[in-house]
Amino acid sequence: MPPIRLMATTGILGYGFTEEAFNAGVAMKPDLIACDAGSSDPGPHYLGSGTAFVSRAAVKRDLALMVTAGVANAIPVMIGSAGGSGSDAQVDWTLDILREICTENDLAPKVAVIRTEQSKDLLHGKLAAGKIQPLGPIGDLTDEDIDDASRIVAMMGPEAYQQALQDGADVVIAGRGTDAALFAALPLMKGADPGLSWHLAKIIECGAQVVEPREGQDCVIGTIYDDHFTVEPGHPDRRCTVTRVSAHTLYENPEPYRLKEPDGTLVTDQCRFEQVEERVVKVSGSRYEPADQYTVKLEGARPVGFRTVFVAGIRDPILIAGIDDFVKSCRQRIERDVGALGIEPADFTLSVHLYGKNAVMGELEPEADGPVHELGLLLDVLGRTEDISRAVLAKSRYAFLHTDFPGRMCISGNLAIPFSPSDMHVGAVYEFNIWHVMECDDPMECVRMEWIESEEVRSW
Amino acid sequence: MVKLMDIARVVRGKNAGALQLTLDVMFEDEETYRKVRDSGVLSPRLIAPLYGVTDNEVAIIPFDVAKAIKITVPRRVRSGSPGDTDVYGAQQHVPLMQIDLPD
Repeated sequence: MPPIRLMATTGILGYGFTEEAFNAGVAMKPDLIACDAGSSDPGPHYLGSGTAFVSRAAVKRDLALMVTAGVANAIPVMIGSAGGSGSDAQVDWTLDILREICTENDLAPKVAVIRTEQSKDLLHGKLAAGKIQPLGPIGDLTDEDIDDASRIVAMMGPEAYQQALQDGADVVIAGRGTDAALFAALPLMKGADPGLSWHLAKIIECGAQVVEPREGQDCVIGTIYDDHFTVEPGHPDRRCTVTRVSAHTLYENPEPYRLKEPDGTLVTDQCRFEQVEERVVKVSGSRYEPADQYTVKLEGARPVGFRTVFVAGIRDPILIAGIDDFVKSCRQRIERDVGALGIEPADFTLSVHLYGKNAVMGELEPEADGPVHELGLLLDVLGRTEDISRAVLAKSRYAFLHTDFPGRMCISGNLAIPFSPSDMHVGAVYEFNIWHVMECDDPMECVRMEWIESEEVRSW
Repeated sequence: MVKLMDIARVVRGKNAGALQLTLDVMFEDEETYRKVRDSGVLSPRLIAPLYGVTDNEVAIIPFDVAKAIKITVPRRVRSGSPGDTDVYGAQQHVPLMQIDLPD
């Protein structure tokens, strides 16, 4: 088998990469230029609302460089988990950016669009057939969970990417997939060893996480041979090290030796990592255990209300000394004040975060009683409606600013409010309510493919 | 006694998905790693109360090739749900830093 070379441009589309590394990577003639755009780390809002956590300008910059070089050098370009969560709205957002890039740069690639947002009918049927199970510490899925979710995506494996490549796609814009499937697709299709293919994919999908010195995101190149693969940075002044590469196998995984994918498990307990050149790490010994049943992870988020927040500083030492009692009396006053507006306690939750005290770790804080001279106050109101959220926050702000406390000297105001307007309306709030695995009869069952022919790409 | 933060190179935390928190402790040299790994100090019984979970919810997995020990616990609140304070789970490693180990 001739070596297969893959370039991962950055950990998340829009996080950026240097042109120096990118051009050096392109000069190595990779068989694929790709980037996963997705992560669940930024939380449920982005899947729930179908919006991106990176800016349009940043995605356009990264994608334009990738597509321009891909078209010029006849290298396919693939984007996975488009828009961050891979919902249809986020795929469409990415396609709109691609159309603009193609128009401005006079490009006409053939584009495969892969969608993995799931229909609720299909999921109700799967649930009734006992084909959906919890993934980790979460309850059994219910029909109500499916109905409540604003968007549900399936994390696909490599099969749809492979079909797109086989059918001649120049650019692939895909919905939610596993990070590694994006990079494992091509080597698996060409007959490379599955253990090496999946492990290489897993290592490069986060971009420059495996590069030293670590200065933001950048391009990483993986090359797969018959019995090993190598990883190296695109940037000529940086290097991949055994420490970085081996440590990355740990990253964001609940366990390091077994990494679950839709059609099997990558097993890394027999792996060897070697520094074969100053900038290059060689990896061998990765194995892949095929699964009896093909499964995809489902991710869903449901709306839970509307958020309004407020930030202020507290410096008064008498107030800080009695802060816990002060918060209690403010809460009582707020409940009374909003009750006068017809707002019931069940209509909202008010969270009071005291930065400088225990806002990060809450009741698990090991140093809760340390000395403090200044506190950051964050008021976070989650209301049943936008109006309730705004009204509760406004009353809360007033209560914290002007409620009396024992020994009070600062009788004209308790807070340093850093700007005006002070109340920030965050909008709709979501929570992950589906985090399950679904059995599939066929890997393509959860996938829909569309094609945009090259002559249509600037006008669709 | 020494604190874990004084002998480890990396003590980090991060989400492993929306439902779990995974903490990695990494060491510079083989000897320190083995000493900590074999000391038995990092046990579910010690870790569980630090993260408000039960002993059997704590997974501790040594990873020799990276001179690392991985600790995975369930999140008490799903990432980004009401009541969460750390959506990425990136600042929940501190209780580990303070763990005492034999010299």
